[in-house]
Amino acid sequence: MDLRAGDSWGMLACLCTVLWHLPAVPALNRTGDPGPGPSIQKTYDLTRYLEHQLRSLAGTYLNYLGPPFNEPDFNPPRLGAETLPRATVNLEVWRSLNDKLRLTQNYEAYSHLLCYLRGLNRQAATAELRHSLAHFCTSLQGLLGSIAGVMAALGYPLPQPLPGIEPTWAPGPAHSDFLQKMDDFWLLKELQTWLWRSAKDFNRLKKKMQPPAAAVTLHLEAHGF
Amino acid sequence: MLSLQIWLVQALVVFLTTESMGELVDTCGVISPESPVIRSGSNFTAFCVLKEKCMSIYEVNASHIIWKANRVLIPEEQYTVINTTTSSVTFTNKSLSNVQLICNILAFGQIEMNVYGVKMRVGFPPEKPKNLSCIVNEGKKMMCQWDPGRETHLETNFTLKSEWATEKFPDCKAKPDTPTSCTVAFSPVYFVNVEVWVEAQNALGKVTSNHINFDPIDKVKPNPPHNLSVSNSEELSSILKLTWINPRIMNVIRLKYDIHYKTKDASAWSQIPSEDTATTRTSFTVQDLKPFTEYVFRIRCMKEDGKGFWSDWSEDASGITYEARPSKAPSFWYKITSHTQGSRSVQLIWKPLPPFEANGKILDYEVTLTRWKSRSQNYTVNDTDLTVNLTNDRYIATLAARNLVSKSDASILTIPAFDFQATHPVTDLKAYPKDNMLWVEWTPPSKAVRKYIVEWCVLSDTSPCIPDWQQESSTIRRTYLRGKLVESKCYLITVTPVYGDGPGSPESTKAYLKQAAPSKGPTVRTKKVGKNEAVLEWDQLPVDVQNGFIRNYTIFYKTSNGNETAVNVDPSHTEYTLSSLTSDTLYMVRMTAYTDEGGKDGPEFTFTTPKFAQGEIEAIVVPVCLAFLLTTLLGVLFCFNKRDLIKKHIWPNVPDPSKSHIAQWSPHTPPRHNFNSKDQIYSDGTFTDVSVVEIEANDKKSFPEDLKSLDLFKKEKISTEGHSSGIGGSSCMSSSRPSISSSDENESAQNTSSTVQYSTVVHSGYRHQVPSVQVFSRSESTQPLLDSEERPEDLQLVDNVESGDGILPRQQYFKQNCSQPKTSPDISHFERSNPVSSGNEEDCLRLKQQQISDRISQSCGSEQMKMFQEVSATDAFGSETEGQVERFETVGIEATVDEGMPKSYLPQTVRQGGYMPQ
Repeated sequence: MDLRAGDSWGMLACLCTVLWHLPAVPALNRTGDPGPGPSIQKTYDLTRYLEHQLRSLAGTYLNYLGPPFNEPDFNPPRLGAETLPRATVNLEVWRSLNDKLRLTQNYEAYSHLLCYLRGLNRQAATAELRHSLAHFCTSLQGLLGSIAGVMAALGYPLPQPLPGIEPTWAPGPAHSDFLQKMDDFWLLKELQTWLWRSAKDFNRLKKKMQPPAAAVTLHLEAHGF
Repeated sequence: MLSLQIWLVQALVVFLTTESMGELVDTCGVISPESPVIRSGSNFTAFCVLKEKCMSIYEVNASHIIWKANRVLIPEEQYTVINTTTSSVTFTNKSLSNVQLICNILAFGQIEMNVYGVKMRVGFPPEKPKNLSCIVNEGKKMMCQWDPGRETHLETNFTLKSEWATEKFPDCKAKPDTPTSCTVAFSPVYFVNVEVWVEAQNALGKVTSNHINFDPIDKVKPNPPHNLSVSNSEELSSILKLTWINPRIMNVIRLKYDIHYKTKDASAWSQIPSEDTATTRTSFTVQDLKPFTEYVFRIRCMKEDGKGFWSDWSEDASGITYEARPSKAPSFWYKITSHTQGSRSVQLIWKPLPPFEANGKILDYEVTLTRWKSRSQNYTVNDTDLTVNLTNDRYIATLAARNLVSKSDASILTIPAFDFQATHPVTDLKAYPKDNMLWVEWTPPSKAVRKYIVEWCVLSDTSPCIPDWQQESSTIRRTYLRGKLVESKCYLITVTPVYGDGPGSPESTKAYLKQAAPSKGPTVRTKKVGKNEAVLEWDQLPVDVQNGFIRNYTIFYKTSNGNETAVNVDPSHTEYTLSSLTSDTLYMVRMTAYTDEGGKDGPEFTFTTPKFAQGEIEAIVVPVCLAFLLTTLLGVLFCFNKRDLIKKHIWPNVPDPSKSHIAQWSPHTPPRHNFNSKDQIYSDGTFTDVSVVEIEANDKKSFPEDLKSLDLFKKEKISTEGHSSGIGGSSCMSSSRPSISSSDENESAQNTSSTVQYSTVVHSGYRHQVPSVQVFSRSESTQPLLDSEERPEDLQLVDNVESGDGILPRQQYFKQNCSQPKTSPDISHFERSNPVSSGNEEDCLRLKQQQISDRISQSCGSEQMKMFQEVSATDAFGSETEGQVERFETVGIEATVDEGMPKSYLPQTVRQGGYMPQ
């Protein structure tokens, strides 16, 4: 609930759009016949893969943004990008999250991030960068699908997108070029942080899902509620 | 397509010319369906619909439509006229070939015009693609391939479709030249399952393959590890450390590896156990390698769980393990090269250690020589031999090889004192080839052996034996020669056991690595040739041409046209005796020497057996000569003893005319000795009747002779002239005849020179007998007289005929016939022809005449009559020449009469020839 505190209507709109594009819930999990374990593992692997992918993509993109953004010690204070879902969270709070909430937070965060990333893609100047961003978007969309699959496998409903909100990356005219680059910087940085966190989330989930059997898992889930 | 174009052009021309100007170009009709695609094996019907306008212009209707397929008229049975404007054509069970179908009309009933054409395409609907599989080459896009199934003969599109649960990806259309695979346009997203299938579609249908669902990460073929490098360790000479850089996909997945290695010269790779390389890593240490050996490595990787594909092999990398102490002492041996009073020149020889024992580069060898109970001498040698001068005492030599790390154990060799007696050889030494190597096997001696020295060299007549050698440990019972051996060469192999106090007695054997047929065959020659046998000899083949152990010889011998005979001979022999040969025959002999691998012929040798054995001629000739000599001697002795008797037999009793009564009677001839009865028979040819008296006087004596002559006569019948062959035969006749023929002119005959000679013979001495008439003296005195003696009638007949004075001969005949009761019928005609009878022979005559009368009734009678008529005619002529001619005829007749006789006449011609000169 802490996470939701900072959400804006626009972000919700973006999430809704993303969810709108997702197919129906039962269709999501086509691989998880033997329970959610393999799909959690796969989702975990995917976050690692995306993290690795993003590392090279971010390097390329920050170089594209130019100094000071591509400098290794560039670490600006987070000011503008308030609409981005924030990954950092108190450790105790994170530990206390139940699986459903954890998955839901991940799902909603990536829905928003994917939405912003598409806007980033549209602005990218070089074809190579656009291609990399497009591939990353596709992969991120795969991650969303995976998370949805895990949630479906565990029997959680997908968060319902709020209708009527325009899912666009619409930087205001007041934004200077620098501030826009700052937004891009924070998008990539937040994406990376989310991928780290997701890796931890799914690792935790994975450990919980490993045998003992699914019945035990369900019991724990029930207990968690 | 070309035909279609041609048709279009034709159609265009037709319509441009037939349609009135200014109107739009239009066809006269159309075929439907427009572009048919037919499933192979199915039926198909096409329709041609004419336009009304066209029908009126050309005065045609649907019945004037004719169809052509590929310019060939389609049989009318396939047409159907549906109505006035439409005709259809039907194809059944259409085969796989594209057809140009054209609808034509016969304008005005006869002019053929093209109306419309379509191209029919025949094929199959696509089959369901099978075996769909995908691969993701790292850093590249996903490629899928499948088995398209049966050839459709139609343009078939294959589309690879892929989708996520949440999203569809763009289709991947297979290129026409690679209809069995397609590479998708988007980069694969790992860890998200994707569903893939193939759609195949052509004009006859569309079919979809089974869907496959997979995570692209499970179809990855990583790039091979790169920058593979090898490093050794000075501490451990048995290890090499490999390092490499993993492909980038290592960041996403865990890898396992496959490491291969081999020594530099080997061809087969060895594999590091897969369980040792089952986790992601960037280095690996290979153990249990040989020191100072170059190894080659290669590596590949794949996803740790085995899903996906192995990468290609990395590039080879090689490294050399570090040196180690030589693992063995070198082989060590010695040769005493020369020996003089009090000192020996000894060459110590040793073998360089093979690389796997040297374990590094051998820097030098350390040799020590220790004389009995004295200080040792040290040598450092780079070469593999050392020549030292030693006294006759016993020495101990040691040898060690040294490399960068250390020196080997020492080989110890005892060089015994000069007067040392070697003993205890190895036993049962055998050498044999096996697996293209020459193996040596022996039974160890009873004494404890320190080591064995095996020496070998090529045995040759042309080059000296240069021995190679090798050392074997004391436990070895069998080894192979580790030198470069040549096939077809005889190796002399010597095994010397080496004891603590010095070498034992050497033992030798011979062997071939691989035998071959001899390169030359033995040259065989004869040592001695007899009538029925020949002793062959040959030289043993030189060892250089033997090429193997001579197992046996085979001698082939044959006559020039006879079968070849083969004899096997033991190889130890150099000589063989061929027996049962035929004498006086040309023999060809050659010899083949056989090794285990085959034989080789030597040159062929030819000899002729003599007709006679040695001494055989002598054995025959000497006895024959002796026998001849003896026979001659006996003959001479016999003749000498019985000379009187012989004389009587050999020389006929020629009557001595001087003793004849007639001689006394004849006015011409002086009185001579009397003829004996025998001679009188023919000598009296011209005698008068008076001679009868004389014959009677000799009657008793002559009878036996007459009988004899008659017997002969009977046997030979009247072939009297034929019988005249022989030494005196012809001369007798030739000489007698002229004398006979000239009987009318006795005087003239007497004047010939020959007459004089014969006369002389007769006169000079035939038992003092003198021919009564001088004219005949010649014929009577010659050898033929003997002949005549046997055939008195012959001469007498002739005499009778030619002389015309037949009285006396007739009498004689009668006389003979009387004395011979069993008269031959042939003779009878003479009897008949001589009707004049002698008073003394009345009885006989009567008998004969009776016989003759019997005879006359037989067939021959008439001829005989005729003959004698002719004879008488001849007499009448009295001419010498004609008389002769006639006589020949007579004789011929006689011959005719005598047909069927066993002997034929040679005679007439001979006689003619004999007479011709006259």
